[in-house]
Amino acid sequence: MSYPGKVEAVSGPLEHSTRQRAPYGRTGDRSPFRQVYDGPTYYGRNTVKPSPFDWKIALYIFLGGLSGAAEIIATVADFDGNPALEDTVRQGRYLALVGTLAGPPLLIAGLHTPSRWYNMLRIFRGTSPMSIGSWILTAFGGFAVATAAAQGGLDTTNPVRWPRLRRILRGSARVLQVPAALAGAGMSVYTAGLMAATSTPLWAAAPRLLAARFAAAAMAAASAALSLGARRHHRIAAAERLEDLTALAAATELVMARASNEVYRQRGVDTALHEPQFRLFYSGGAELIGTAVPLALYVANRVTRHPSNRLAWAGGLAVMAGSAALRLSMMYAGNESARHPEPYLAATQSERTSP
Amino acid sequence: MTVHARARDYPQSEFEGPIPNESELTAGSRIVPGRSYGFFTDTTRCIGCKACETACKQWNALPADNMALTGDSYDNTGALSASTWRHVAFIEKIGTGADRATEMPPYQSNWLMMSDVCKHCHNAPCLEACPTGALFRTEFDTVVVQQDICNGCGYCVPACPFGVVDLSEVDGKAHKCTLCYDRLKGGLEPACAKACPTDSIQFGEVEHLQRAAEQRVADLHQRGVPNAYLYGTPGAPGATGDLGHLNAFFLLTERPEVYNLPPAPTRASNRTLPSLISGLATVASLAAAAALLLGGRPGR
Repeated sequence: MSYPGKVEAVSGPLEHSTRQRAPYGRTGDRSPFRQVYDGPTYYGRNTVKPSPFDWKIALYIFLGGLSGAAEIIATVADFDGNPALEDTVRQGRYLALVGTLAGPPLLIAGLHTPSRWYNMLRIFRGTSPMSIGSWILTAFGGFAVATAAAQGGLDTTNPVRWPRLRRILRGSARVLQVPAALAGAGMSVYTAGLMAATSTPLWAAAPRLLAARFAAAAMAAASAALSLGARRHHRIAAAERLEDLTALAAATELVMARASNEVYRQRGVDTALHEPQFRLFYSGGAELIGTAVPLALYVANRVTRHPSNRLAWAGGLAVMAGSAALRLSMMYAGNESARHPEPYLAATQSERTSP
Repeated sequence: MTVHARARDYPQSEFEGPIPNESELTAGSRIVPGRSYGFFTDTTRCIGCKACETACKQWNALPADNMALTGDSYDNTGALSASTWRHVAFIEKIGTGADRATEMPPYQSNWLMMSDVCKHCHNAPCLEACPTGALFRTEFDTVVVQQDICNGCGYCVPACPFGVVDLSEVDGKAHKCTLCYDRLKGGLEPACAKACPTDSIQFGEVEHLQRAAEQRVADLHQRGVPNAYLYGTPGAPGATGDLGHLNAFFLLTERPEVYNLPPAPTRASNRTLPSLISGLATVASLAAAAALLLGGRPGR
C-alpha cells in the first residue's frame, strides 16, 4: 500500500529516536515468500491486545471437542449396528458428559463477572462464534445428558423385569443421540472459529486450517479415548477399529498442522511458536506426541504379527495428550503473538484472503 | 471556525444549567438521533497537550493509571486501556548527534503527536463478537458497552483490530470510549473534542467531517505537506478488510505503523463462516470414515 506523497515515509532519524530494542522476529528466515515486518513500531508496543483467555478456556476447548466427537462416534457406531461396538456406544455416550458437566464451570470461571454468566443466553449473534458456541453448548448439554440418561436407564434396569421400558429407553437414546451428535460436531469446531474470528495474528492467519485441525484433533482424542475404553474391557477387535479411526484423524491433523505452519511462516506470525515453551508444547506436544508418534505406534502395531497392548495404550494416551497440548499451545502462543507489534503488522500489511 | 449566531444569546459567563444544543455553539453541529457522529483527529494540529486525555478522564470519572515515566518521549500513558479512552502518542524524529535535525519543515514533521481513540468502526468487530449484546450501536451510530450487561467474557478484546477495548481488573467489565454517549444525549460535544485547544480533535457528523478532512488534506498538500493523508475514510488505509469506514478517523503524515495503527486491518467476523464450514466438513468426512471403519461384522 502506498501513501500519497511519500511511500518510504520513515527516514533515518526516527530509528534513532525510538529506544533501541531487538525486533521481535525470527532472524535468518528471509525466504522470498515470508512476509516479515521490520518497519517502525511504536516503542515496540503491541498494536492489538491479547485475549484474556487462559488454560481454563483451553481445557474447555479440549474437553468440549473430546465430548462432542465422542457423541459423534457413539452415534455412528450405534447406527452401524456392529455388536462388537455396543460397549463403545455406551462409553461414548457417557464420555460426552465430560464436556457437558466440566464445560460450563470452566467457562464461567473464565468470565470476569461470573455472576452474569446467563447473559450469554440473552441474545443470539450469528457474527459471534462465542454466541453461536453458547447455544451449541446449551443444545449439546441438553441432548447429551438426555442420551446419557437413557443409556443409564438401560444400564441399570433388569432386562427381564422391564422389557418395555428398555425398548422405550433404547429408542429414545437412538433418537436423542442424533441432535446430540450434530451439536457435538459444533462443539468440536466452533472453538476454532472463536479463535479465528479475532485480530490475534496467530489465530486469524489460517481460519479454515485451524478449524480442520481442531476438528481432526477432537475426533482423534475421542476415538483414542474410546479405544482405550475398549482395551480396558479387553474388546480388542473394537479397539483396533477405533485405533484405525484415531490414526486417520491424527494423520489428517498432521497434514493440517504442516499446512498451517507454512501459512504461519509465510505470514510472519509464527514467531511465538519458536519460543522455547511453545516449541515444547506445540511442536513437541501437539505435533510430535499428538500425531507423529501415535501414528508410528499404530502403524507398527498394524504391521507386526503380535500387536502390543502397551503400544496401543501409549498411542491412545499420546493422542489425547497431544490434543490437549494443541489447544493449550494455540491459546498461549496466540496471546503471545498479540503482545508484540511485529506479527500483527506483518499480517495487516495488505488485504489478503486467508486459507 | 466562525462563531455560531446563537452564541450571542449567551453573553453571561456563568450558567444555571446546560445550554440547549450546546454542541451547535462549540462544534458547529447539532446532535440529532439517527445521524452518524464521530471524530476527525487531525494530527498536524496536535500539540501534545493531553487536554483530551484529562477531559476524558474527568468527565467519565476514569481512574489515573500508570503513575510512572515510560521513557517513551512524553508518552507516559502508553496505550488505550479500560481506564484510558484517549491516548496521545508522541513520536520524536529530531534524531541524535550528527543526525540531529537542524531544519524544521512546516507542521508536525519532526515531532509527531496523535490523539488515539476508539474508531467506532462502521462494522465494529467488538460489537460483532459480543455474545451478550452488551456492546451495541447507539442512535448516534457509535459503539458503546452497556456496563449493566457486560459479563466480562473478554471476547471483544482480541476482536478489536486496533487494540482499543480492554477489560478492567477492577470491575471485571469491558471498557472503551463511548464517544461521550451521555453528553451526546444532552446535546453536548464529547469532552475530548470540546477540550482540544487547537481543534485537532473535531466532533461532528461523519459525512461533514469527511468532507472537511479531504479539504484539509488538499490544503496541506498545497502548503507543502505532500505526505498528509486520511486514515479511516472510505477507501483509505484503516478502512480496509470490510470494516467499512471508521467513524473516528485521522489525518496522518507518516505510515500508519508509526502511530501504532495497522495499515490494512480486517473485520474479524468474516472469518467465522469459512472456519466453521471447514471444520464441519472435516468432522463430516471423519464421521463418514468412522461409519466405514466401525461398521460391518465383528472382528477382522
